[in-house]
Amino acid sequence: MTISTAPAPLKAEAPAAEAPPKGNRFGSWLIFVMGALYFLIPLAATFYWSLRAEKGRLGFEAYRRLFADAGFLTSFSESIVNAVAAIFLSLLIIVPTAYWVRLRMPKLRPVVEFITLLPFVIPAVVLVFGIIRLYSRPPLLLTATYDSSRVLLVCVYAAISFPYMFRSVDNGLRAIDVRTLTEAAQSLGANWFIIIREVIFPNLRVALLSGALLTFAIVLGELTIALFMAQHTLGPYMANLTRSKVYEPSAMAIVAFAITWAAMGMIAYISRERKRQ
Amino acid sequence: MSGGFLSLEGVHKEFGGVLAVEAFNLEVAKGEFVSFLGPSGCGKTTTLRMVAGFEQPSSGTIRLAGKDVTFAKPNERNIGMVFQSYALFPNMTVAGNIGFGMKIAKKPVAEIKARVGEMLKMIHMEGFGDRYPYQLSGGQQQRVALARALALSPQVLLLDEPLSALDAKIRVALRSEIRSIQRALGITTIYVTHDQEEALSISDRVVVMYQGRMEQVGAPFEIYNFPQTEFVASFVGTLNTVAGEVVDPAAQIVRIDGQLLQTSEDMSGMVPGQKVAIAIRPERLSFATDGVKPNVIDCQIESINFLGSIVRIQVRIGSLLFYMDTFNNPFLELPKVGDTTQVTCSKEAVLILRHATAGEQLAALDLAPSEAAPL
Repeated sequence: MTISTAPAPLKAEAPAAEAPPKGNRFGSWLIFVMGALYFLIPLAATFYWSLRAEKGRLGFEAYRRLFADAGFLTSFSESIVNAVAAIFLSLLIIVPTAYWVRLRMPKLRPVVEFITLLPFVIPAVVLVFGIIRLYSRPPLLLTATYDSSRVLLVCVYAAISFPYMFRSVDNGLRAIDVRTLTEAAQSLGANWFIIIREVIFPNLRVALLSGALLTFAIVLGELTIALFMAQHTLGPYMANLTRSKVYEPSAMAIVAFAITWAAMGMIAYISRERKRQ
Repeated sequence: MSGGFLSLEGVHKEFGGVLAVEAFNLEVAKGEFVSFLGPSGCGKTTTLRMVAGFEQPSSGTIRLAGKDVTFAKPNERNIGMVFQSYALFPNMTVAGNIGFGMKIAKKPVAEIKARVGEMLKMIHMEGFGDRYPYQLSGGQQQRVALARALALSPQVLLLDEPLSALDAKIRVALRSEIRSIQRALGITTIYVTHDQEEALSISDRVVVMYQGRMEQVGAPFEIYNFPQTEFVASFVGTLNTVAGEVVDPAAQIVRIDGQLLQTSEDMSGMVPGQKVAIAIRPERLSFATDGVKPNVIDCQIESINFLGSIVRIQVRIGSLLFYMDTFNNPFLELPKVGDTTQVTCSKEAVLILRHATAGEQLAALDLAPSEAAPL
């Protein structure tokens, strides 16, 4: 048997990419480093401060104290439950709305988009006073008890998530051929409920997760509305902590920051996985 | 009540005052394969969507197996549909897609599995059940879409330009596959296309549509050889269409640009001097040296184009330009550009387009093969 050796393939010469001039590259790096420092220095300072709870040495004492505080765990768990409930409520309102607008009433899209943007336009203080005035008297008395106020708070959180949720869902719907998929499902005997459950929701998974995680991050640290509605969530807890403690607020800020970044990281990871598919 | 398995009676559709489909009447027999053929915007897809239930007619009735389904919901019609963009559910596997309709109909899991296997075998894609749509080629995706539409044994199969997104070779292979599956299952089928070759090659009957109207309904042979309107004549195949006038109706003689032509068309009711549209298919013209037929016309060779199996020659007859097609063979002797020669055609080849619609049709479609003044 003869073994023929194939000539080594010639190394393809890489096309001469236009490298940016050295001066330009330095400028870009300078802007990047300055931008990074602008964000990182306060963060590093906060972190450093949170490590100084023990006299004479750096450590995680502030974090230990924070997690040992029953108030923290209560407010943290309450905020998580509120965030999850707000996400579900928001999805329940936004997904069918965005779907219907895209499918049947595309002309109404700018109107719906404007409505969903209102939480950006109306300051939180104005919003919460309006809500308190509206819901603190019959027939819509919802501020009478802590639990009913909490239900109201979840509704408000759902509303303030609309700008993020609508955009995420709308982008997700744009990425799939909603009309044809709907018609295909209809021709196979599916009704609207089945279409949304079996076809639309699963194909919007990434979009829904993006919207949900953004909502989660926002609701977790929300202060103004929760404070005025006398709710014991993470925002008011942090505000109280700032008034009474020295190092714990910094530890709290770092924890909140870590949770937010974990949520963002998860969005990026899921999006990348989806793209790879 | 009408006799067709699927019947459309006086179906009319307007979108905000704009006419999309006008007075559409059609009877489709059980097991028949009917194609809607026409250019974009002619109303063929709108008509199909009305049959599917995605659009509702402004007036008229649609009956399926004797039942009035004009306003029935799409999911209550038991109609299978295949879309141009495949419309496979991206979140489901091939098996999930094919079995979707049966799952909705709450069929037992074992039955769904068996049917999915049967469908995969039918489309020659056994072993692909666990793949996702993004892992398939366009042709494979469309075959899965076809299997999905057929899995529930629908009463009617609707195909909306199913091959438009595929490349030429796959298109030809898949259209034969669609036809053989349709024949094997005996399913009543409506097929929408703008590709005349596709429509002519797979249909029992073709409905040619233009501007929301049915121009002609007939077997492919009839549509091609005996077009009833100027639009059908120009849209289906290549056609030399020129303005002419009646010379002697009794002797069946017409004139184009000074040349007299004999036709076999019935000219009763016509009067000498009457303006008419004359049409001759390029393949019906031949050089007079190949054997003289009743009509011999002096001409000059303008251009010669080699198109593979045929050679298309452009000849000038007076001030008019005509196309003439001749089969290619290695021993073909062709005149040169600029040569003066004679072409001939039988009297049956000279068509008088009776139901000629507005002359702007050809110009609007930019389909006029001849530079002769189009009607």
